[in-house]
Amino acid sequence: MTTMEPRGASPAPQVQGDPGQAPRQGAAGPVGGPELLDPEPTGAEPTGAQPTGPGSAGRGSAGLELTRRESARSGSAGLERGCELDAGELPPRSRGVIGLLEENCTVCMLCARECPDWCIYIESHKQTVPAPEGGRPRVRNVLDRFAIDFSLCMYCGICIEACPYDALFWSPEFGYPETAIGALTHERDRLRDWMWTVPPPPAHDPGAPLPREAQAAGPGAGPAVESG
Amino acid sequence: MAAVDLPAPGRGSGTMPDPAGPVAVGGFSLRVFDAGLACCAVEVSAALRRCAELLADGGAGSAVGADLGDSAGPGSAPGNGPSPVNVLVVAGTVTDKLAPLVLAAYRDLPQPRRVLSFGACSNSGGPYWDSYCVTKGADQIIPVDVYVPGCPPRPEALVHGLRLLRDVGGE
Amino acid sequence: MTPGEVLAEAARRLPAARCVIETGVGAAETVTMDVPGRDWLAALAFARDEAGCDFFDWLTAVDELDQGFAVVVHLYSVEGGQHMLVRTLVPREDPALPTATGLFRGAGWAERETHEMFGVAFDGHPGLAPLLLPDGFEGHPLRKEFPLAARAAQEWPGAREPGERQASQRSRRRLVPPGVPEGWPPP
Repeated sequence: MTTMEPRGASPAPQVQGDPGQAPRQGAAGPVGGPELLDPEPTGAEPTGAQPTGPGSAGRGSAGLELTRRESARSGSAGLERGCELDAGELPPRSRGVIGLLEENCTVCMLCARECPDWCIYIESHKQTVPAPEGGRPRVRNVLDRFAIDFSLCMYCGICIEACPYDALFWSPEFGYPETAIGALTHERDRLRDWMWTVPPPPAHDPGAPLPREAQAAGPGAGPAVESG
Repeated sequence: MAAVDLPAPGRGSGTMPDPAGPVAVGGFSLRVFDAGLACCAVEVSAALRRCAELLADGGAGSAVGADLGDSAGPGSAPGNGPSPVNVLVVAGTVTDKLAPLVLAAYRDLPQPRRVLSFGACSNSGGPYWDSYCVTKGADQIIPVDVYVPGCPPRPEALVHGLRLLRDVGGE
Repeated sequence: MTPGEVLAEAARRLPAARCVIETGVGAAETVTMDVPGRDWLAALAFARDEAGCDFFDWLTAVDELDQGFAVVVHLYSVEGGQHMLVRTLVPREDPALPTATGLFRGAGWAERETHEMFGVAFDGHPGLAPLLLPDGFEGHPLRKEFPLAARAAQEWPGAREPGERQASQRSRRRLVPPGVPEGWPPP
């Protein structure tokens, strides 16, 4: 199994031209944060069990913090501070960049098929998982490459809506310009780094119907919703 | 009621639009020429207007002005600073019909000059990459220094892009 | 004029026309009038003078495959709030219509665009030069047989099946993306 080398992506989620943003704090604290960072052990079926991504700055925020300190030290801070937007100012569900939660991805290819721009590149191969005691061997898909070409992306969100396993998420981060157009194709590791910037989902609007999971669970399930 | 003849539309007085600026940022002074071809032009206009407000505003902008270092006041080129860099911001879809004009605008741009590609359409053709008459990116006809992704990018993303332009080799 | 009155008057003056009242988005009632090609100018004049639809909105064509090209004009009455769609069919082999610029000057550029995109000739037009396509462009892009070459040349990322490295040969799924005719590019 060959893995694509990340194309010039830095290990920390700091991007040239993206300084100074305070790490986003989820209002409700981390939602299933650190557990999602561990790659799934071989043999486990990936499930869509995690409906929400990490809600607050996880381990990746160290990189953002470093970038913020460095940029504050530079002399030309005038326009830097003037045009910054922190988490409070951006409206909820702002579409800045797309993050991938690889643990949820089953390589169903629906996002690549539905993308109107053809900007999602997926490569994978099949792996036979040896049979446990009394079981039979199973075949599962292993993701080799998942890349989104943000030079083509039109931020429609069809991939995020089409994904049945909630592996793709919106993030409001918007400052990631590049000097080379090839660097605008973000590979798996960079897409994972964007996950640390995904805010928790906003609260339901008052009077909104319950989510389908709560409706299916029957009356009395789900959060209390103000009526009217 | 009869049909009415309107005057035929005419060309403007040349290819170079009026620049915004010079905007002084910590010794790095820019003149931004907005080649606003489509929807991204609205975001670029919002960005340039906001930057001018930030620098001219005495209240909230005074702290901003104080941090500009050795640059002069808002809206004026620094006295003993470097000459302003002319930045052509290509914002919007570059169609095959309009491509020669974008090339002419680049050629008319005086040195030192940079090109910033703003938005998906001028980066790579964007959502219209498969069209029969769209140039797949401004870099097919002119050299591009910075690509700002988005559809459209936020106005603040233009500032990020201009900052990257400064960091990678402004004068 | 109310839509019903338009229908009645059209039946009187243009017996070959077929009129239908349709309720569109926002409950705006539109009178759609289909006329044969020989009544084209008469229908437009009727819409402007009798039905009061003096605002020319757009003119375009629809590729109806075997039936030819359907040239459609949208007109609007500013005073009465009445929408009208006037439509005719021109044969595919020789698509030609008299120009509407005698009645509506605004049809000038619309007919230029329809001419370059579909190849419909408008007789009597003052200058039927291409409007949006670059010089030297060959073909009529909005005809159905004009394929999106870029889509056929580029490999579709969705053609791969899960677990496969390149486009699957065995899949039952449709592996040609939308916009590309089957079997294109020709071998």
